[in-house]
Amino acid sequence: MNNSIVWRSFLPSPACRSARHFLLWAVAGSVCLFLPSLKAQSTYQEPDYSKIKPESGPITLEVWTWVVGLDKAAQLFEQAYPDIKVHVNNVGAGPTEYQKLQTAIKAGSGGPDVAQIEYDFLPSFIATDGLTDLSKYGAEEAKSFFVPWTWGQISPDGKAVFGIPQDSGPMAFLYNKKIFDQYGLSVPTTWDEFAQQAEKLAKASDGKVKLVDFVPTQAPWFIGLAWANGAQLFKAQGDSWTQSLNSPECQKVLDFWADLIRKKYVATIPDFTAEFYNAVGSGQIAASIEAAWGPGVLAASLNDKTSGEWRVAPLPQWSKGQPFRSGNWGGSCDAVLKQSKHPNAATLFCVWLNCAKGAVLNNWNSYGIFPAGLSGLGSPDLNQSDKNPSKFCGGQNVAQVYVDASKAVNVDFPWSPWFAFVNDDYNKQIAALISGAMTPKQALDAWQSDSLKTATGDGYDVKAK
Amino acid sequence: MRRYRKTAFLFLAPFLTVFIAFYLAPVGYALYLSLFVKKRIGIGPPKEVFGGLANYIRAVQDTDFLNGLKNMFVFGVVQVPIMLGLAILLALLLHQSRGPFMKACRTAFFMPYGIPTAIGAMVWGYLYSANLSPFNQILKAWHQGTIDFLSPAIVLFSIANIVTWTWTGYNMITLFAALQNIPQDLYEAARVDGAKTWDIVRRIQIPLLLPTLQILFIFSIIGTSQLFTEAFVLRPLGYLADNITPNLYLYLTAARDANYSYAGALAILLALLIFVISGPFLRRVASR
Repeated sequence: MNNSIVWRSFLPSPACRSARHFLLWAVAGSVCLFLPSLKAQSTYQEPDYSKIKPESGPITLEVWTWVVGLDKAAQLFEQAYPDIKVHVNNVGAGPTEYQKLQTAIKAGSGGPDVAQIEYDFLPSFIATDGLTDLSKYGAEEAKSFFVPWTWGQISPDGKAVFGIPQDSGPMAFLYNKKIFDQYGLSVPTTWDEFAQQAEKLAKASDGKVKLVDFVPTQAPWFIGLAWANGAQLFKAQGDSWTQSLNSPECQKVLDFWADLIRKKYVATIPDFTAEFYNAVGSGQIAASIEAAWGPGVLAASLNDKTSGEWRVAPLPQWSKGQPFRSGNWGGSCDAVLKQSKHPNAATLFCVWLNCAKGAVLNNWNSYGIFPAGLSGLGSPDLNQSDKNPSKFCGGQNVAQVYVDASKAVNVDFPWSPWFAFVNDDYNKQIAALISGAMTPKQALDAWQSDSLKTATGDGYDVKAK
Repeated sequence: MRRYRKTAFLFLAPFLTVFIAFYLAPVGYALYLSLFVKKRIGIGPPKEVFGGLANYIRAVQDTDFLNGLKNMFVFGVVQVPIMLGLAILLALLLHQSRGPFMKACRTAFFMPYGIPTAIGAMVWGYLYSANLSPFNQILKAWHQGTIDFLSPAIVLFSIANIVTWTWTGYNMITLFAALQNIPQDLYEAARVDGAKTWDIVRRIQIPLLLPTLQILFIFSIIGTSQLFTEAFVLRPLGYLADNITPNLYLYLTAARDANYSYAGALAILLALLIFVISGPFLRRVASR
């Protein structure tokens, strides 16, 4: 999940409808004498939750998340654990939530028990000492149930556990088949083909339809593409760090996009805005490079407009013969704050939320939360053609494309505690790039030096690499 | 005498309690925080150690912060006179006229003030978005180029427009009330002496509005230094510089970068600066 903004709350919420779908489905499931679910259960493994003992007595857990529809999963939890009530609170997505969270951590009170935090921002919360080490509460129990690299993201030193992985965001190419057919475009498998199709579409539509949007205000989107090109941004070595935002791998990616931007073959609309959803929903944008949660979020945000017209294809590659590579954009974990009075119950909720089948499927179907749990990822139930995100993609097995992408992501990708600044400073440099005030090289160099300056100003021992 | 003083404190107590708890105490806390710096040893949470004036020295050398202050001055010099000028004009017009239409106008001008700043900024955010903006659609219909209201060169003026929209009505009502207070016989005397409408405006109304205007001017200057919400709400819609206003910059320093000590120092410096700027005006008003 990446950061959206206040605007999304204006968009009609899909939560009600997906909840209804979910209930219908649940009822249908029980009517069928549990036959399908029994069969699935034989392969769907869940940890032994009884190893995590919640505090006794009635407990209310406060949970901050921006996953629309997560309250339905929380209700399932409440049914399983009647002594624990869960209050789900959407206080905004990404940085909007993080800024409230940092304030609550500094204040020492006022924060939730559980908070959704993206992997790239997790180190900034570890650095402010706001998160509980869940290994003290039996989280290790769940380790073997998660995709190993997502566990690496929440346990950077391999010992302390600062959250339970919720989802990941391997990237793929989401395209509107109707527009592709209309203009006779082919699905690009390499970036060269991608550029050709972008040119073809721009010329055929007289510049009115763009192939994709170059997202100008989401650093993790660009980082995901650089990641797929072998980039590494941060590394901790002993007590010091290195940072390489202007590496040749990043340079190659930004050069490619800067050329398309200059020729006006791609749009440059900030993501997660009314403007972006309007452009996508009205057919001004033919495709989008989206993480695994992207189709689900788009389906929810467009309120099923253009539903069924989309398809997912693998991310274009730099050369034809290379081993297939993808990158990751976003993905979150659920962390427990040190100020929580019920760390055991909170740990139990985090583990359950991301392992229990009902919760995992609910979150995938209502908001495209691509599970970080191995059983969830392997579950054939992710592919339900009458439910989003598969329905949004004409019944295609969306999960499979992203499962394949997930296997092609370089799993060793550490972040840094000053990433919140790096994330915002990207917007500044890209604005200069788009306006023509900077070349791609200047933009990346400025990104690197601005971020180094802030990190060293905050006392980090960090060098350029 | 002593007894009176006690009674005075008793009556002041409700105000003083709140004033100390929610005003002086946070200022004191910010001052306290600002004296610490982070010391990091290796990876992991930093230690807060006493750093004296280190944060203040960093602040006066921080070009981002200084440019934020510059933005604030540009804003104050351009927006405040426009807003107050408009408010005077509208107040005078409303004062001249009678009738239901004028009453409706008065309410309409004042209405933006009643809308929460965040909501107002969101609505303007829609009006400013490059392709959805009705302004741009009108421009397109006339085959003109569109304007990117959120582009770095323009966005400060876009924010100024929102602030003007919100606050002109408030200032107008205050001035309108002050106009109502001008004794009727002054107008009559002026008319007897053969004064025209313009003479009355120039020699009676504007001079008598001056004390109110001075107060409004000080409020506006202080308001300018506190600009935050509009920028904060517009921020996710595109690129807005961290230091578009000093308050946004210090908020991000605290809530995003978790550097509360440095943000405390920035806040204290900003408060001092506003004190120095508005102090002489306040003294002049008080001495009247």
